[in-house]
Amino acid sequence: MKYIATIDEKEYEVEVIDERHVRVGDRLLAVDLVTVSGQPVYSLIVNGSSYEAYVQPVDEVWQVLLRGRLYPAKVEDEREKRLRAAAGSQVSETGEYMLRAPMPGLIVAVPVEDGQKVSRGDVLVILESMKMQNELKAPRDGVVGRIRVHAGDSVEQKKTLLSVL
Amino acid sequence: MFKKVLVANRGEIAVRIIRACRELGIATVAVYSEVDRHGLHVRYADEAYLLGGPTAKESYLRGDKILEIAKQSGADAIHPGYGFLAEREDFAAKCAEMKIGFIGPKPSSIAAMGDKAKARSTLIKAGVPVVPGTEDVGNLTDDDLLRVAPTIGFPLLIKATAGGGGKGMREVQTLEEMPGLLSSARREAESSFGDGNVYLEKLVEGARHIEIQILADAFGNVIHLGERECSLQRRHQKLVEEAPSPFLDEDLRQRMGGLAVRVAKAVDYLNAGTIEFLVDKDKNYYFLEMNTRLQVEHPITEMVTGVDIVAEQLRIARGRQLSYKQDEIRLSGHAIECRINAEDPYQDFMPSTGTITHCLLPTGPGVRVDTGVYPGFEITPYYDPLIAKLIVWGETRAQAILRMRRALEEYRIIGVRTNIPFHQTLMDSPRFMGGQYDTRFVEERFSIGETLLDRPAHAEIAAILATLAAHQATERSTQVVRRGERDTSNWKWVGRWERMHR
Repeated sequence: MKYIATIDEKEYEVEVIDERHVRVGDRLLAVDLVTVSGQPVYSLIVNGSSYEAYVQPVDEVWQVLLRGRLYPAKVEDEREKRLRAAAGSQVSETGEYMLRAPMPGLIVAVPVEDGQKVSRGDVLVILESMKMQNELKAPRDGVVGRIRVHAGDSVEQKKTLLSVL
Repeated sequence: MFKKVLVANRGEIAVRIIRACRELGIATVAVYSEVDRHGLHVRYADEAYLLGGPTAKESYLRGDKILEIAKQSGADAIHPGYGFLAEREDFAAKCAEMKIGFIGPKPSSIAAMGDKAKARSTLIKAGVPVVPGTEDVGNLTDDDLLRVAPTIGFPLLIKATAGGGGKGMREVQTLEEMPGLLSSARREAESSFGDGNVYLEKLVEGARHIEIQILADAFGNVIHLGERECSLQRRHQKLVEEAPSPFLDEDLRQRMGGLAVRVAKAVDYLNAGTIEFLVDKDKNYYFLEMNTRLQVEHPITEMVTGVDIVAEQLRIARGRQLSYKQDEIRLSGHAIECRINAEDPYQDFMPSTGTITHCLLPTGPGVRVDTGVYPGFEITPYYDPLIAKLIVWGETRAQAILRMRRALEEYRIIGVRTNIPFHQTLMDSPRFMGGQYDTRFVEERFSIGETLLDRPAHAEIAAILATLAAHQATERSTQVVRRGERDTSNWKWVGRWERMHR
């Protein structure tokens, strides 16, 4: 199976030939991948070179933490890649964005109102956790709606706080 | 003399104190909140008692309950660690009232240093240089402060007299913006400390934050254990400390050390304490504040001096003389500490909570880890994000940096995000290696992403890792689907298959 992994806008063609071999571009590499104690830590041996990394799927991206650097990799097989190219680049800028609590904590303030226009980077909610106040910001321009929390509320992780349309 | 110590704290520092007690054959009493039942300090202590709910207010700040537990369990002394009750004059006084030893300074010294403006005026009288600012004690009005500001000069800092951790602190560039900043600083100080008093201090530019560890016994002996360089901070929170400071020479060390001893004597200090200084580009130094407790970063001093600071604290509290004289303190080699926080350095240091599922600690020559977490332990949002301190020692600063790099790469914590990649990037930074940094460095001149692109070979390895992991995940999910398609159980299916082939 052929895949395309994109890291920092650079594309890597990686073909998985069998469990022990991949082709990167035109080079055939012997690989051996095992997980460490069933955790998202992987040990990879490539042509004799040994690497260890955290590999975790987060949203649509595989986050690879390798030797102190984070490489966010988008991995698609060729079919997906073609589909996406056909659909154009209208992803993520439309539809409703749901702001969820990234961690459990206490709502300190909700400095926006229902129906308020916000720009990318505006503070939507201030959430206190681990003695730190964290500003949750708008990922893009839009209109605030469905505010479900108030100052003083305790929230669980991943609770929907409000939406931006 | 005491035989049993109650440790009024949690996490790595509670474990650190219990360890010292165990080595000295002193029994220990742990206290814990509802969410800390699985805490390592609870498991390590000889006795453990529940305090109450998860918030600090319901648990580790309950001085009354802690004293009650101390009485009931027969503990003869309390070690407060850092934070929580460590710098509460009233708590230290209550301990004395109830004839329970407080392993720390006298209540009067805590009070003298707790009010920053009062501490300034006490030390000015003792001839200690302080950062130029408002010299008057008391409640200065906004009008007074606005009148004095031009004589101090801009830029300057507004600071809360009850302050700490950067709360109620504002940087002022011009007189025009000062009234607004004054009222917001007062508001923040009022809500954080219940005291809206502020004072002014000149902003020392390009400053380094260097502190001196001191020890004082009840016989009037006061010694210093050299300095710790703590300039690497973010939002006024220290991230990396090293000892000795790459900025100090022996002459300056002795002068600052001598001054620190004088500061301690000026407030009749007892036990371990730390005097913080600001040092400017021209090596002028100014008293900043005194921390009347054990510091988070005390291990680096232990590594370079060989002194067990917590053991000395216990010794002093037992009414014995210090084990060392000043001329017996020798600095050997170099130590660095990285604070490992449950924070995601790629998402603006957002706190990360969850259960630690796997943990592999770095070991080997010159490496020390002080931690309170282990696999299965849950990181909750109720306390500070410090989960471990990674400390290394090297013969030289260069060796210590190389060792720290090695240890950071070995350290595996799974279940929460940590700032380990931040430390790895910092250890690779030429400015850090050159010792060229001040208190603004992390916030203004350092970025975790900056060296990402110069390692293309690793990007390719990352691409292979991501692809193989994605491939395995797809394979697994298609197998699950196939299994579901079969409407009979696997055992039945195997039975039929075997009959068919008989």
